[in-house]
Amino acid sequence: MSATTTAPVDLTPAGGGTSGASGPSLRRVVGLARANTILLTRNKMTLAYALVFPLTPLLLLLASDRGDVTAGIGSVTNVLMLGALFPVYYNLLSMVVTRRDELVLKRLRTGESRDGELLVSMALPGLVVFAALSVLAIGVSSALGQPLPSNPVLVVATVLLTAVTFAGLAFWTAAWTRNAEAAQLTSMPVILLAVIGSLRAVLPEATHRYLDLTPGAALDLLSRIAWFGQDQDGAALSFADSFAAAGQPLAVLLGWTVLAGVLVRRSMRWEPRV
Amino acid sequence: MTTTSTPARADRPAGPDHGTSPATTPGPAGPPDPDAAISVRGLVRRYGSGKDAFEAVRGLDLDVPRGTVTGLLGTNGAGKTSTLEVIEGLAPATQGTVQVLGHHPIKDRATVRRRTGVLLQSTGFPGDLTVAETARMWHSTLSDPRPVDEALDMLDLRGRAKVKVSSLSGGERRRLDLACTLMGRPELVLLDEPTTGLDPESRREVWRLVRRLREAGATVVITTHYLDEAEALADRLEIMHAGRIVRSGTAGEIAEGHPSTITFDRLERALPDLAGGQVDQSTLGDPRTVVETVDLQTTLTALLDWARAERVRIDGLDARTASLESVFLSIADGAEADTRRTEPTSKGA
Ligand SMILES: Nc1ncnc2c1ncn2[C@@H]1O[C@H](COP(=O)(O)OP(=O)(O)OP(=O)(O)O)[C@@H](O)[C@H]1O
Ligand SMILES: [Mg+2]
Repeated sequence: MSATTTAPVDLTPAGGGTSGASGPSLRRVVGLARANTILLTRNKMTLAYALVFPLTPLLLLLASDRGDVTAGIGSVTNVLMLGALFPVYYNLLSMVVTRRDELVLKRLRTGESRDGELLVSMALPGLVVFAALSVLAIGVSSALGQPLPSNPVLVVATVLLTAVTFAGLAFWTAAWTRNAEAAQLTSMPVILLAVIGSLRAVLPEATHRYLDLTPGAALDLLSRIAWFGQDQDGAALSFADSFAAAGQPLAVLLGWTVLAGVLVRRSMRWEPRV
Repeated sequence: MTTTSTPARADRPAGPDHGTSPATTPGPAGPPDPDAAISVRGLVRRYGSGKDAFEAVRGLDLDVPRGTVTGLLGTNGAGKTSTLEVIEGLAPATQGTVQVLGHHPIKDRATVRRRTGVLLQSTGFPGDLTVAETARMWHSTLSDPRPVDEALDMLDLRGRAKVKVSSLSGGERRRLDLACTLMGRPELVLLDEPTTGLDPESRREVWRLVRRLREAGATVVITTHYLDEAEALADRLEIMHAGRIVRSGTAGEIAEGHPSTITFDRLERALPDLAGGQVDQSTLGDPRTVVETVDLQTTLTALLDWARAERVRIDGLDARTASLESVFLSIADGAEADTRRTEPTSKGA
C-alpha cells in the first residue's frame, strides 16, 4: 500500500458504553444472510442442484393419469422431502463445515453477532429455497391436474417445522463432520431417517409404530392431510378435522425440532478440530 | 563496526500509566484493576481433559493500561493466542479472572464486543465474496460502524473492492481483515500478529495505523515476532514464556541488567583481561568470538587499547548493548529447559 494515498481517517473510538445494548439483531441477520445468499448464487452448480433436483418427482405426474391422487401425494411428498434434504440439510451441512474450516465462523464470532444470529443467517438461504420449492410444487402440481392444498395453514406449518428440523440436524451433523468431503458419509444417517419414513407403505405393519416417529413419515402424513385432505387410510377429512388429524405428525416434527435444537446447543463447534 | 544500543524513546509522550512496575516483576497482583483496559489475574487455559490435557496458559497476570500500546511477545507456543482468545471472549478461562473494559468478556459480551476490535492470527473470510461484499457483510454486524468505503480507504483497498477474497494476495487479505477490525471504531484493539506476511511498506502502514489509534486514545494489544516492531510501537512489552508472563516493562527496562556483547572474528592469539568481560565459552571454536560484559564501555576500551598496543587487527567488530533481542533469546533458551519439565503435550507445537 502506498503511504501517499491514505486519507487521514479519524480513528477516534466511538466511545461506546453509552448503552449496553448492541445494535439491532435483525440488521445483523439480514446482512449475514445476504452474504450467505450471494455465496450460494456464486456456486451455480449447487444452486441449480438445490432448485431443480427436488422438483424432479413432479415428473411422475406427467406419466400418471391426470388427477391421480396417489401419484399426487407421492410426488408432492417427495418434493418436500428432497427439498428438506438438499437445499436445507445437505447444503447447510456443507456450508457450516466449510465456513468453520475456513475460520469464517471464528472470525464472525469475534464481532458483535451472537451465535444464534450466525446460525439463523446460515440457515436462511436454504429455508427460502425450500419455501420457493413448495410454492413451485403447488403451481406445477395444480397445472398437472392436482388439487390446491386443502389446508394452507397446515402446509405452511409443515414446511416451516420441516425446514427448522432439518436445519437443526444439519448443524448437529456438522459437529461431528471433519471436513466437506466427510459430509458425504456423515449425512447418511439423517438422509436414511428421512427416507425410511416415506417407505412406510412398503414396510411391514409391525414397523409402523416406530416409523411414524420419523420426520419422513410425519412429513408424508402431513402432506396427505394438509394438501389432499386425506387421513392415513385415504378417508376424506373436513377442514376442521384436518387440524385434529395433523396433531400427531406435527408433534413428531416438533419433537425432532426440539431434539435438534438441544443437540446443536450441546455440540456446536465453531472452530476446526485440532 | 556497528554500535547499537536501545534508544531511550523520548521522542514520544509517555503513555498515561506505563512503566510503573519494574521490568522483572512477574506481573500485577491484587484484585483486578477496574480502570485498566484489560486486567487478568491467575489465568489458566487448559486444552483437552484427562491424560491429554495441556495447559497453554499457566497462571498469567496482566494489566493493560488504557490508552497504551502493549506488545505481547513470546516464542511459538508461548500461549499468546491462547491468552488473547480468552480476553476476546472466544474461550472461557479454565481458571482465573479476566476483565475487559471493566466487564466480563463472555457474560457482558454485547457491551464488550461493540467496543473492541479483534484481529485473529489467521484470517477467515469466505473466498467467493469480493472485498466490498465482505466489508459490507461485516459492516452490517456493527453497532456504530464507519462507512465501508472509509474502512477500505484506511487500508488502501478501494482499488481492490471488486476482487474476490480468494484472488487477493496474503497481505491484501490481511489488510481487509484489519479494515474490518477497525470498522467498528473500537476503543480496545487486539491484534494477533497483524504484520506477519506483510511487505515492509504495508507493515509500516500498519505501524502508522497503530500509532494513530493510540494518539486517538485507543488501547492496543499487539502480538508479533518482530522485536523491532514491538520496540517501535509498544509503550510496554510483556514477554510470555511457557504460559506465563516472565518479563514486562519498556524495552529499556527489560534489557537492563542483561550483559552487553562484543563480537569479532576469532583472533589467533590469547585475549587480555577485559575488565570484567568474559568470553562466552560456548563460542570458543566458532569463527566469531563473543564477549559478554555488564560494562560495555570499559570492556570495549580495554579490548581496543590492547589491540592498539599489540598492533592487533580486530575484524568484524560489533558491540551492542543488551537488547530486547538478546533478552528474548535468553528467555527462549530457558524455555527449552522449561518445556522439558512439563507434561507431554497433547499436540505438537
Ligand atoms: N486447540 C488446542 N488443543 C491443544 N493444544 C493447543 C490448542 N491450541 C493451542 N494449543 C497449544 O497451546 C500452546 C500455546 O499455543 P498458542 O497458539 O497460544 O501459542 P502462541 O504463543 O500464540 O504461538 P505462535 O507464536 O506460534 O502463534 C501450544 O503449545 C499449542 O500447541
Ligand atoms: Mg499465536
